[in-house]
Amino acid sequence: MRNAALGLAIGAVLLLIGGLRADADSPLFTSRATLGSLNGEQIYAHICQGCHMPEGRGAVGAGAYPKLAANKNFISWRFVALTVLDGRNGMPPFGFPAGRGMDSGPAHLSDAQIADVVNYVRSHFGNAYKAEVTAAEVSALPHPAAELIGPQ
Amino acid sequence: MSRRELLRMIGAAAGGSAMYQAMNTLGFAAESPYRGPIDLQGAPRGASILILGAGMAGMTAAYELRNAGYKVQVLEYNARAGGRNWTLRGGDRYTELGGHTQQCEFDKDLYINPGPWRIPYHHHGMMHYTKLLGIPLEPFFQVNYNAYLHSSRAFGGKPQRFREIKADYHGHIAELLAKATRQNSLDASVTKEDQEMLLESLRQWGALDSNYAYVSSDASSDRRGYDKNPGGGLSARPVASKPVALHEILDSGLWSGVANGDNFDMQTALFQPAGGMGRIGEAFGKELGPLVRYNAKVTDIRQDDRGVTVTFTDIQSPGAPQTARADWCLCTIPLPILAQISMNVSQSMAAAISAVPYAAAIKAGLQFKRRFWEEDEKIYGGITYTDLPIMNIGYPNTGFQSGGKGVLLGAYIWGMRAMEFTAMSPPERVQKVVDYGSQIHPQYHQEFENGVAVAWHRAPFTLGCFGMWTSTTRAKHYDNLCQIDGRIALAGEHASFIGGWQEGAVTSALDAIGRLHQRAVAQGAAA
Repeated sequence: MRNAALGLAIGAVLLLIGGLRADADSPLFTSRATLGSLNGEQIYAHICQGCHMPEGRGAVGAGAYPKLAANKNFISWRFVALTVLDGRNGMPPFGFPAGRGMDSGPAHLSDAQIADVVNYVRSHFGNAYKAEVTAAEVSALPHPAAELIGPQ
Repeated sequence: MSRRELLRMIGAAAGGSAMYQAMNTLGFAAESPYRGPIDLQGAPRGASILILGAGMAGMTAAYELRNAGYKVQVLEYNARAGGRNWTLRGGDRYTELGGHTQQCEFDKDLYINPGPWRIPYHHHGMMHYTKLLGIPLEPFFQVNYNAYLHSSRAFGGKPQRFREIKADYHGHIAELLAKATRQNSLDASVTKEDQEMLLESLRQWGALDSNYAYVSSDASSDRRGYDKNPGGGLSARPVASKPVALHEILDSGLWSGVANGDNFDMQTALFQPAGGMGRIGEAFGKELGPLVRYNAKVTDIRQDDRGVTVTFTDIQSPGAPQTARADWCLCTIPLPILAQISMNVSQSMAAAISAVPYAAAIKAGLQFKRRFWEEDEKIYGGITYTDLPIMNIGYPNTGFQSGGKGVLLGAYIWGMRAMEFTAMSPPERVQKVVDYGSQIHPQYHQEFENGVAVAWHRAPFTLGCFGMWTSTTRAKHYDNLCQIDGRIALAGEHASFIGGWQEGAVTSALDAIGRLHQRAVAQGAAA
């Protein structure tokens, strides 16, 4: 796909204002091929905010999506990273091995991407944790089982 | 994007049931265990049960236990019965998590089912209760040979009729296999006598000519359709059509959509309730009447050696928390919500409750000024599959040739793309669904009037579409989830091997109340 990274950046901007012309290569919609190019901010906008809402506001219904804004649990980067890797209380996991998912199934994020999105949420929405998590640190955490989900 | 990637992606988009197979790695070849009405004789006098959730599981249980003589109370978060069994009609309002409210502006009698939309004939439990409740059923067309298989990257983006792709795919395979048979390439695996039979069967199955070739002919056109259909009178003579080359079918990936109706859950006959799937939940709610307390948000579930106390708040008129108490509790609350509710159950059940991720899914209903899919394209019901992010277009299986407006399912999306749609506001979702759909039906922009788009991760009463099990989590947690814990049992599609289907909810409820009943009987009236 041409200029994937540039396209995704433009897509992230247009996501906010809407009105992007639809076509099959629309950068708004990622595939397994393009998902890997998303950075932490884009991952938040494309995936996380579906539940955790813009600006990490969270939401409350019969149950709640935790507010990420000014979230005290975020003092532990491991807590955040493990949540993204393994899921928690119904949240889908994003850390199963590459190539085991489908476009139509749960998304795979690389350890570097998980580090990036962890750093993003820990430094935005009123969170101001300075320490940067690295891909290597995420790699050292337990990941979901390799057999987890995928076409048989 | 690699060729392999492309094929996989198109296959994923086209394979309607691939999602369920991939996400529920066990249990899909099994027929529903439903074996007729449950027998709950001998309920102890005065025994009571509290049921949490008025979806298909909760209401099935409430109906049977009430009839068996139990004192039944049901607590439901929504202001309506049904849970995911739900139909949006003109005038309905729906507020999702995050606060966006959608006003459904469909005309009278037009609707969309944001949740389940079909009932296979072998979902015997669902068939039983729809009959019991007097719900008229209509056929649901899982396969429509005149609907489309579409790849934005093949055939110039032009949608292909299912009929043509299926006929050509099978025809070319038959020709190849016939060639191999005649060259004796299959020698050891097929006897000489069977070779003759195989060749004849391939000719019939693939619509081959007398030389075992798949070519333009009356035989192949009788499968894939004619360029000019047979008719009557002087203009009667048909003109045969020309098959698409094998490599084009293979390159397009559309072959992966051919088997969509072959999966057990998708095999004819399938049904839909007339007037919308929600008719079932509505009828169940009416049947149970005052047994269901609506607008009740459960905040605490506490059992002791004599019973179960549930604390809830009335979300319409919040005040001091209220409590309900019974000897037993059947909890059908979806797991992402239940995981957040304080409850004194065993560590193993608590772990199971937290171990099941819930799928993202989107359904969008679009109202158009006219039923152009019927008028212009002769598509009456059924489903078009596409590699576009909308993934499916479902045409209404009712109201054919009714002239006026129509509502179709503009998108049924799961996985990564559903997450991305979920992250948008409802108007943005509808706009994107219209934009993408217009690549298949150019009439969209001209004819579109209004739409709704439900993102299941933002449904306040479920926080997701359905529970996704894997073989690992099944092995570790499934039995612990379904085991009665003291005086509490769980039920719902999440406690079944028919995940994402209403039949899972019904059969899990019957299984759970059968076991609760045994315990209640064993403990007697003193429970």
